[in-house]
Amino acid sequence: MESPLESLPLVMLGPVPIMASVVVTWAIMALLVLGAALLARRLRLVPSRVQTAAELLVGTVDSQIRDVTGAPPAPYRAFVGTLFLFILMANWASLIPGITPPTATMETPAALAALVFVAIIHFGIRGGGLRGFLRGFARPNPVMIPLNMLESLTRSVSMFVRLFGNVMSGVFVIAIVGSLAALLVPIPLMVLDLLTGAVQAYIFAVLSMVFITSAVEKGQPEPKDI
Amino acid sequence: MTFDVWTLGFQAVNVLVLVWLLHRLFWTPVAAMIAARQAAAATLLDEAGAKRAEAEAALAGIAATRAGLAAERDAMLDRARQDAAAARETLLAEARTEAEALHDTAKAARIRAAATLKAHAMDEAQMLAVTIAGRLVARLDGPATEAAFLGWLVQGLAALSGPERAALAAEDLELVSATEQDIPAQERIRAALATVFGAPVVFALRTDPALIAGLELHAPHFSLRNSWRADLARIAAALGETDGLSDAA
Repeated sequence: MESPLESLPLVMLGPVPIMASVVVTWAIMALLVLGAALLARRLRLVPSRVQTAAELLVGTVDSQIRDVTGAPPAPYRAFVGTLFLFILMANWASLIPGITPPTATMETPAALAALVFVAIIHFGIRGGGLRGFLRGFARPNPVMIPLNMLESLTRSVSMFVRLFGNVMSGVFVIAIVGSLAALLVPIPLMVLDLLTGAVQAYIFAVLSMVFITSAVEKGQPEPKDI
Repeated sequence: MTFDVWTLGFQAVNVLVLVWLLHRLFWTPVAAMIAARQAAAATLLDEAGAKRAEAEAALAGIAATRAGLAAERDAMLDRARQDAAAARETLLAEARTEAEALHDTAKAARIRAAATLKAHAMDEAQMLAVTIAGRLVARLDGPATEAAFLGWLVQGLAALSGPERAALAAEDLELVSATEQDIPAQERIRAALATVFGAPVVFALRTDPALIAGLELHAPHFSLRNSWRADLARIAAALGETDGLSDAA
């Protein structure tokens, strides 16, 4: 049994290895984009069941963003919602036999965490300007600048580790149980893995929103005491 | 444990592309559709609110119209009552006037009938009196009666003043007698008249049985009625005046 901590390339394009996680990611992307394209062509004022489910998803994401930020959800909807959808689909890809979820390899959660780190900077600068964003590191006082900068890094790293650890452990446990017991024995663990995957997707998306909101709020001018 | 940087880059780019694609194909269209539905619902709610306001205004208008109808009905009833009362008063006044007119007419008719009856009765009474007087005269002594009437004629002429008798003597005189006068009777009359006039007078002699009895002297401007017919007429006139006074009382 190969270690889940190791990724072997499916093909090599010169010096560039194409990992299985990348291929699965492309498949997930194709599925999501194709479904979205089909749905977008059939949007009606009187919704179908699929459109109703899609609108429920969008409404829930908007509601979560509004609850966390207190601001209109439109600027964050695509990024946070896509993170949630992608991680959810990636986590649930473990249900397909022979498919290793992309989030069970280190590169994908690391890439997601890196994107969140960049998004924090992007939305922080867009919300309060570069000076405001940088000034946010000096709060509550300039002594905290190193700690705040370290915190911004460790937050993303913690998101990466949390997602990777949870998904990888689930896949690892199911693989071990599947290799030791009968065919149907891992099913309860797979159901649990479904729940874990949904929860991890939700946590990752919400934490992303929280961190982005924190960066935006820190970039705003401090209210003066009256 | 391996960590491939190429895969990290691929996955980062993959997710970024996915974010962009889903932003164009999923999140924005679906959110726009939700907003459109909310706008449509808001429009429907606004229209419903407007229609409700219109309905309430229409109800208020109907209520006002009903109130106006009730007031108009009351006013019409009041007018009808007033018209009916006025018409009743008018009819009563007209009926009263008509009744009074009928009463007056009936009264006048009754008075006329009574007068007619009375006149008729008087005529009949006169006729009866004349008849009775005629029959009584037939039983009386003719010459004596005529002598009496001649005496009364002379007395009447004597009661006139001298100038009046002179003027009368100059006129065309007519002596009317109830019976035929024979020559001696005519001579007696001429003599009596000559005595009272102071000279013989010329007169025409005419017989009129309607006088019943007596002698009357007529001139164009003078009449001396000296007969029972004249007496009966005077009596009847006196009785009529007496009855008129009684009716007036």
